[in-house]
Amino acid sequence: MFDNSLINWVLAIVIVLAFFYGLDHFVMSAQGLPLNLDLTPAQ
Amino acid sequence: MNKKPQLSRWLPLLWLILALTGLSLTLPSVAGAADVSATTLAERIRPVDAGGVRPELFAPEAQAGERIAMPAPRLKREDYPSIGVSSRSVVWVIAQMHLFFAAFVLAVPLFVLVIEWIGVRTGDPRYDDMARECMKISMTAYSITAIFGGTLAFALFLLYPQFMGYLFHVFDRQVLVYAFLFFAESAFLYIYYYSWQALRHGNRKWVHLTLGLMLNTVGTTLLLIANAWVTFMMAPSGVDASGVVTGSIWEIMKGPLWNPINLHRFIANVAFGGAVIGAYAAYKFLSSRDPKLRAHYDWMGYTANFIAILSFLPLPFAGYWLMAEIYAYSQQMGITAMGGILAWLFIVQAVLIGTILLAGNYYLWSGMSRTPGARRYYWLIKYIALVLVGSFLVWVTPHTLILSADEMKTLGGNSHKLLGPLGIMPAKNIAVNLMLIFTFLSFQLFRRSDKEVTVSWAGFGNALMVSIYVVAVVNVVFAGVYYGYFTNTVYKVGSSVIQVVSTLTVIVAGVVIDSLMFRGARKLPTTWGQVSNRAQYALFALPVAFTWLMALMGYVRSSVRTHWHVYTVMKDNSPDNYIPTIGHAGNMMTIVTVLFLLFVLFIFWVASLADKKQPKPAFLDGGAA
Amino acid sequence: MKKRFRQGGGVLLRVLLFSLLLTLVFTLTANLLPQVEGEAPVDREIDLAALTLDGFVALGETIFKGKGTCTLCHNDMGRAPDILAIDMVETAKEHLADPRYRGQATTVTEYLHESLVDPSVYVVRGYGKKGSNDTISPMPAVDKAPIQLNEVEMNAVIAFMEAKDGHEVSVPLPDSLPDDAPEPAGGEPAATATPVAAQSPEEALGKHGCTACHAIAGSEATLGPDLRSVGARLDAPAIRQSIVDPDAAIAEGYDAGLMPADIADKMTVSELEMIVDYLLRQRGGQ
Repeated sequence: MFDNSLINWVLAIVIVLAFFYGLDHFVMSAQGLPLNLDLTPAQ
Repeated sequence: MNKKPQLSRWLPLLWLILALTGLSLTLPSVAGAADVSATTLAERIRPVDAGGVRPELFAPEAQAGERIAMPAPRLKREDYPSIGVSSRSVVWVIAQMHLFFAAFVLAVPLFVLVIEWIGVRTGDPRYDDMARECMKISMTAYSITAIFGGTLAFALFLLYPQFMGYLFHVFDRQVLVYAFLFFAESAFLYIYYYSWQALRHGNRKWVHLTLGLMLNTVGTTLLLIANAWVTFMMAPSGVDASGVVTGSIWEIMKGPLWNPINLHRFIANVAFGGAVIGAYAAYKFLSSRDPKLRAHYDWMGYTANFIAILSFLPLPFAGYWLMAEIYAYSQQMGITAMGGILAWLFIVQAVLIGTILLAGNYYLWSGMSRTPGARRYYWLIKYIALVLVGSFLVWVTPHTLILSADEMKTLGGNSHKLLGPLGIMPAKNIAVNLMLIFTFLSFQLFRRSDKEVTVSWAGFGNALMVSIYVVAVVNVVFAGVYYGYFTNTVYKVGSSVIQVVSTLTVIVAGVVIDSLMFRGARKLPTTWGQVSNRAQYALFALPVAFTWLMALMGYVRSSVRTHWHVYTVMKDNSPDNYIPTIGHAGNMMTIVTVLFLLFVLFIFWVASLADKKQPKPAFLDGGAA
Repeated sequence: MKKRFRQGGGVLLRVLLFSLLLTLVFTLTANLLPQVEGEAPVDREIDLAALTLDGFVALGETIFKGKGTCTLCHNDMGRAPDILAIDMVETAKEHLADPRYRGQATTVTEYLHESLVDPSVYVVRGYGKKGSNDTISPMPAVDKAPIQLNEVEMNAVIAFMEAKDGHEVSVPLPDSLPDDAPEPAGGEPAATATPVAAQSPEEALGKHGCTACHAIAGSEATLGPDLRSVGARLDAPAIRQSIVDPDAAIAEGYDAGLMPADIADKMTVSELEMIVDYLLRQRGGQ
C-alpha cells in the first residue's frame, strides 16, 4: 500500500493492537467484568 | 452455455423460508396439545338438546388433551429387568453405534449440498461428481442407522421400561412427530440421490438443490428432537421436582443445554462426516494405480479434510459453551465432569484432539508437495509443529493427581509444584487456542501455496495478517496467564472468552483478507495425486480419532448425570448406577470404534460394488461363433 | 486380476492394522491412567437412638465427604470457601455481623443451617455466580435433589462443622428417628452391640450417676450443685455444656475436676437431650 514497507508494518501493528485492546475491554465488560485502562480487573 | 434462469434461483430461498415458517408453526403446536383448547371435550361434543342426556357420559375422568399428572417412577433394584449381562453395556454399544451412523448420515447431506452448490457456482464437474459419490456412501449408512435405531428402541424398552414410559409420557406426541419425520427423511433422501442425473442442469439443478435443502431441514429437525431427550435427562425443564409435567412441550424441549448441544452436535457431525469421507478417499487413492483416479481421490481427500478440519476448529468453543451452560445449571454437575471423578477423561480427550490436530496438520504439510509455490513456506512448518507439540503436552498435563498417602508426602501435595499450574483451565485454554490458531496457519499457508498475489496492497495485507497472528497469540497468552493466575475466579473464567474471540478473529480475518488479497491472483500449477502414500494415513487417523473422541464425549455426557436417569427427578437404582473405571469405559469405546470401523469398511465396499460390472464370459456367448 | 486383488487386499489390511494400532494407543491411555470407580449411592441404616455425640459428629463428617458432596467445591481449589480449613463458628459470627447479611438467622447454628438450605441468602465475597455481583450462589440447596439431605443429616453436618475446630455442638441432636424408621422400644430390635438407651429422664440420670452427686430426681446429694432449680439459672446450651465439658464453667463454691469429663461420651444423644430438657424444666420452688 505504501512504498515504505516499514510504514506498512507500523500501521498494521498499531491498528491490530488497538483492535485487540478494544476487544479485550468489550469482551470482559459484556460479561459484567469491567477492566481498568491497564487491563486490570475493575472489581 | 449455461444460462441460469432467474426465477428458479430463488426457489431454494423460498423453500427455506417456507420450511422454517412451517416448522416453527407446526412443531410446537402439533407436539404440545396441552394448551389446545379452553373448552373441555364434553363441552365441545355436547348435543344441542341437553335435556335427556346423561351428563356423566360426557365427563370423562381425564379430559382429552390433558395429561395425567404422573411423577417420575421411583424404582427399586428389583424393578429393573435383567438379561444376564450389564444392561448399561448393551444400551451403550447400541446407542453409540446409532449415534455414529446418525451423525454420518446427517452430516453428509449437509456438505454434499454445499459441494453441489459450489459445483454450480464454479461449473467444475468434479464437485458434482464428488457430491454424488458421497451420497452413494451415505445411502447404505442410512439403513444401518435405522437398524441401530430400531435395535436401540427395543433395547431401551426391554431393559429400562419404566424410564422409557416416563420419558415418552413427558415428550408425548412429539415422539410421533419424530417417527413420522423419518418418512420425510427417507423420501427426500431417495429422491435426492436417484434424481441426480435426471435433474442435472439448469432449472432442474435448482430443484435438485432444493430437494437437498429439504433433506437437510428434516435431518436437522430430527437431530434437534433427539437432542431434547438427551438434554432433558441432564437438565430437566418443564417438569416439577417430582417429575410431573408442568410446562408445554416447548418448555420441555428448550432446556438450558438444548441449544449448546444442538450447535455442538451439528458442527461435530459435519467434522465427523468429512473425516469419514476423507478416509474413503484415502482408501480409494491407495487402492488405485490409474493416475487419473489417484488425482481424483487425492483431490477428494483434500476437500473432505478441508471440511473436517474447518468444522473442527469451532468445536472446542461449542463444547466450551456446553460446559459453561452445564456449570451454570448445576455447578455440581460441572465440577463432577471436569474437577471430579470424570476429570481424567479430559486428559484422554487431550490425547485425541492432539492426534486430530497433528494428523490434520501433517496432511496439510504433506499436501504442500503438490505445488512448487509451497516451498516458500516450508521454513514455518517446524515452528508450527513445535507449538502444536508443546501445546499438546501442556494440554495433556493433569493437575490433581490421585495419589496414595506416601506419594502425596513425596510430592508435597496432590499436585506437582511446577507442573501442577499447567493442569488447570487457564493453561489448557492457552494450549487449545494456540493449537487452533497454528492449525489455521497451516491451513492458510496451504491455501496460499498455489497462488501468487497480484493486488497492489499485498505488502500491507501481509503485514496486517502477520500482526493479527502475533497480537492474537500474545493476547491469548496474556489473558490466560494474567487473568488465569493473578486474578479471582470470575475474571479467570471470563478471560477464556477473550481467548476464543482472539482465535476466531484470526480465522475470520484470515479468510476475509485472503479472499480479498487473492482476487485475480496468478495460479501456480498443482499436481493432484502428487502426494505421498504416507499422508493418506493421516486421513485414516482422523476418523479413527474422531470416532473414539465421539464415544468419549458421549460417555462424559451420559455419566455426568451420576446416579440419575433424569437428573434430580428420576433416580437410577439399577445394578449399573455407578461410574465405571476409566479403563472399562475406554475398552467400551474401543469396542464401538472397531465395530464402527468394520461397518464403515462394509459400507465402502458396498458403495463400490454397484459400479462393478462382470464382463460376460466367452462361453456364455454361444461359443466361438 | 490376482495382482489387483492382492493390492486391494493389501491396502485393506494395512488400513485396518493402522486403525487398530491407533485405537490401541487410545485404549492404553485410558487403561494406564489411575482407575477410580465411582461409588453407587448406598442407603445406610443408622440407629439414631444409640448414637453418641462423637458418633453424630463422625456421621456429619462422613456425609460432608460423601453423600453431601461438599468436598467437590469446598476445598483448597478456590471455587468455594475451604470449610475444612476455616473455623466455621468464627466465620459464621463474622458473616452474621456483615452489613450485607440479609438472612433470618441469629445464631451460628441457624446461620449454618440457612446456608445449607438457602445458599443465595448470603454469598461470601468473590464466590457468587458470574455477573451476579455475589448475590446468587452457585451452591445447590442441600435439602433438595440431587443431594437431598434430610434434617438429621444436615444437623450432623453442622455438628461436624462446629466440632472440628473444638467448638460446642449447639445443633439440636436427634432424639427421635425420622417418620419412616421404627422406634427402638417397639418391634424392631436395635443393631447388635449397641447400648439400650434410657427411656425416661429419671432413668437416664440414675444410669449415668448424676444422682450420686447432685440433688435431683429424688436424690439429696450435695457433692455437686443442687439441680432442682437449674432451669431457672441456666439455659439449654449452658446446661448441655456443663455435662459435655464440666470444667468449662464451675459453679461458685465447687471445685474443678470433680465431675467426670467423659459422662457425655457414655450417653446416647437421645439420653443427653432428655436430661437437658428435664433439667430445663427444674425451676425450683416446688
